[in-house]
Amino acid sequence: MLILVTGGSGSGKSEYAENTAVALAQKEGLPLYYVATMKPYGEEGRRRVERHRKLRAGKGFETIECFADLKGVSLPQKGVVLLECLSNLTANEMFEPEGAGDGTVAAVLEGVKALRERSAHLLIVTNDIFSDGITYDEVTRLYQERLGRLNREFALLADQAAEVVCGIPLQLKEKGV
Amino acid sequence: MILIIGGAFQGKKAYAMEKFSLKEEDFTDGACCSEEELYQAKALNHFHEYVRRFLEEGKDTAGLPERILEKNPDLILISNELGSGVVPVDAFDRNWRETTGRLCCSLASGAEEVHRVVCGIGTVIKSG
Repeated sequence: MLILVTGGSGSGKSEYAENTAVALAQKEGLPLYYVATMKPYGEEGRRRVERHRKLRAGKGFETIECFADLKGVSLPQKGVVLLECLSNLTANEMFEPEGAGDGTVAAVLEGVKALRERSAHLLIVTNDIFSDGITYDEVTRLYQERLGRLNREFALLADQAAEVVCGIPLQLKEKGV
Repeated sequence: MILIIGGAFQGKKAYAMEKFSLKEEDFTDGACCSEEELYQAKALNHFHEYVRRFLEEGKDTAGLPERILEKNPDLILISNELGSGVVPVDAFDRNWRETTGRLCCSLASGAEEVHRVVCGIGTVIKSG
């Protein structure tokens, strides 16, 4: 099953995605993997990563770091995989030296498809960065356009898609679970 | 607690007035009220502005949702959703919008009802 979870900053989307992943793994007796895409830059970045680690602690995730080139990531077994998050991965592919640059959309699409084949269930956390109405510089707009495109592609492929608001999941798409 | 959220200019206050038979004088403004006034309020508008002032004063928001829920359990609280944009360059803005989101998660978890207003139309996203 492929599940896409979106929401704004501080919406509770990570916690919802984690709990959904844990429930799936428990139900089917599968291992849990957390594919972390965020490079912890500076004090704020470290705090952010630390906060997510604490949130996950005791839930049984094995953490695998992957900042770019998701296609190359290997997993010990076919399990429940939580990819967090698409917005960081897309930014890394666009802006980091090891990233795919102009080939970002293709790299992320192929990467996620490869990861999905290596997973029993894949949950993707992404981000709603589209509703502030501000016109940004060209590079930021390109980033928004690429992430928006990827969100749409994965929502199309997904069995379930949810938007989390104040910790409450609103199902946007739901096939038989 | 009834929590009403939505983007800016979505008609959250008008929705609250109609839905819960509130008058203009029933509202306390989060942009200028004291913490004590928040606990006494029948309805609070602009909770996100209250959070901004709280952070500007360097205060810690830990325990704030619990205090609101305990001291004013019948409050109708309105907050903007701030989180659905590009990550702000300014560190204070980043912290403000994330903190507001997390506080609203905590308030929603303790609230009897959560309403989300888009284009003036409210949807109950949590009840009972």
